[in-house]
Amino acid sequence: MTVMQKLEILTDAAKYDVSCSSSGVERKGDGTGIGNAAAGGICHSFSSDGRCISLLKILFTNECIYDCKYCINRKSNDVSRASFTPDEICELTVQFYRRNYIEGLFLSSGILYSPTYTMELIYEAIYKLRTLYRFQGYIHVKAIPGADPEIIRRLGLLADRMSVNLELPTAEGLQRLAPNKHRKNILAPMRMIQQGITQNKNELMVYRHASSFVPAGQSTQMIVGATPESDYQIMMVAENLYKRFDLKRVYYSAFVSVNEDKDLPALPGGPPLLREHRLYQADWLLRFYGFEAKELLSEDKPNFNILLDPKADWALRHLEQFPVEINRADYQTILRVPGIGVKSAQRIVRARKNGSLSFEDLKKIGVTLKRALYFITCNGRMMYPTKLEEDYITRNLISNKEKLPFDRDGMTYRQLSLFDDSQELTWKQAVGG
Amino acid sequence: METGCGRMKKGGAIMELSESYLVCEDSLEGIFTGIYDAYLLKKPHEQVHICVGEDENYRLFAEYLRCVPDETKVAKVAGTIVREFGQEAYLSICRALASGEPDKGEAIYKTVVAGFKMKNRKAVMGNLADPYIHRVFELARFTANEAHFHVEFLRFYELENGILFAPIGPKNNLITFIVPHFADRLPLENFVIYDEIRNIYAMHPSGKDWYLVYGEEGMEHPDHVFSEEEKKYSELFTHFFHTIAIKERGNLGLQRNMLPLRYRKYMTEFQ
Repeated sequence: MTVMQKLEILTDAAKYDVSCSSSGVERKGDGTGIGNAAAGGICHSFSSDGRCISLLKILFTNECIYDCKYCINRKSNDVSRASFTPDEICELTVQFYRRNYIEGLFLSSGILYSPTYTMELIYEAIYKLRTLYRFQGYIHVKAIPGADPEIIRRLGLLADRMSVNLELPTAEGLQRLAPNKHRKNILAPMRMIQQGITQNKNELMVYRHASSFVPAGQSTQMIVGATPESDYQIMMVAENLYKRFDLKRVYYSAFVSVNEDKDLPALPGGPPLLREHRLYQADWLLRFYGFEAKELLSEDKPNFNILLDPKADWALRHLEQFPVEINRADYQTILRVPGIGVKSAQRIVRARKNGSLSFEDLKKIGVTLKRALYFITCNGRMMYPTKLEEDYITRNLISNKEKLPFDRDGMTYRQLSLFDDSQELTWKQAVGG
Repeated sequence: METGCGRMKKGGAIMELSESYLVCEDSLEGIFTGIYDAYLLKKPHEQVHICVGEDENYRLFAEYLRCVPDETKVAKVAGTIVREFGQEAYLSICRALASGEPDKGEAIYKTVVAGFKMKNRKAVMGNLADPYIHRVFELARFTANEAHFHVEFLRFYELENGILFAPIGPKNNLITFIVPHFADRLPLENFVIYDEIRNIYAMHPSGKDWYLVYGEEGMEHPDHVFSEEEKKYSELFTHFFHTIAIKERGNLGLQRNMLPLRYRKYMTEFQ
């Protein structure tokens, strides 16, 4: 089999993995090899689905002993199988990297014989890449649940980021769709990596030249829409992972139906992209805006609003906290205003030191006034005379079409139009009317 | 005139005209010299303006002074900006200087003036309510964004002799902002980044420091012959690029937002 054929099979099999981030570690080259790493991460291209290509995302092999129902590589599927050799992976990575096609390698794998055996193969490839090829760019590897902790520890000293896939939000979902996987086996390596990172940070404080363990932190992903969990359940799981496992990122993957199976939902409207989008918006609110999951959703209101982003939705349910005076409110309060992002909030706090800000100034700073104007005052004045009233603001926010990343040729636009007839109803539910 | 600016007579008579325009060369040296000379005029700053390049429409009742770049003045202005306003502001100003917009000289000059009036001079770039500072912020952001796009989307092609060659066509003069990134990342490669618009080459010999070479006008561009390997890896990557997309999520609009069409001309996977 040629390298081209292998690359096709093992890219095709890896593409459903969401993470392509190359962020979290800043490292200069040492002048003796190839590569460095930028803290913010660098995208190098965007594929026709609009997703970033940052890393050479491939599987080591798509052979697998498991039979997870949602996975294209499951044992019972009749697909072409292939495996790379460690040298092929090293050559591809370095040759792509020096042409500036990629920021590094993302190596995952199906399970060949056993989790430990597969991890040994991955280790061999990564070890060669780091030592023989002196590659100092970004490396993200999957830790396979059930593998010997020792091999995970050794790999963690070579990789920048490691991730263990949660696969599905709850243990019940996992049991139904991935009978070979168990929740506790997934959480065990996650906990181990977390402890490794903490321990390593302490070592680094004592010995400056101790080698770093997973310096870019760990991430995970779960499939959304294959099992019946609510957005509330998903956000509670994510919040838990951030708080109790110190994860850097949780990724949400709209379920793409690749296998026919009676246990999988039929998705005639395509993958639930809008739902995935709302979860990412909420995830941002947890990580950068100081929100907690229970502020956004509850048992009684377990799913995100289709028509409003989670922040606007929250603000409309908390009108008693508005309007906010831009020239006096603290940073955290300003951050909660719809239409004001992290950058704008920081700029506001900096700029107002030199005198009070007007609406014109806010516009220059980058505030989306057509969204923010209902929630703020500048020197005690609102931009226009406007009612601080839920129905009125909701109507105005919705008529200002939200910019979604998939309005034109995405499936979700069609999904949305399903609600056109019942817009009135949905909207009333949305505002709690 | 002692400022070193040649005073150009307009309409014959010398009179005390209210507005002065300093005509500067389009470079860091030119504009910094202009700022120095503007202070030497000892006129209210509202009446002094800096314009860049030659194509200025002359206004009536204004005097036009041509500035000749002067190393000592440049060093003084640069030193003052760093000392008074800090490194961050200096970097913003340098980025704004790389812009192709004609009003950049005036914006930078008036930013310096505004900065000196502030209590906390180090915070000058945060004062976005000032229109000139905001303009410098805007120009700097444009250069920084475009430089970042080049770090992302620039593509090297391997030539027959093993040299990596990357042509670019940026709107801002950003080559000096991106080369350090590649020099750190590819220390052992011989590589060349070529700005087609301005005819500037950045040369990086393996294991050595990089430098700029300004191409001669009308210089012949040899047709580059690619290496054997180049065809193989460009095909492999192009294939990877198409395979990694999930067709059920197809979204060309989002792709276009994230990867503007003008960069694709230089990118391997779009050839």
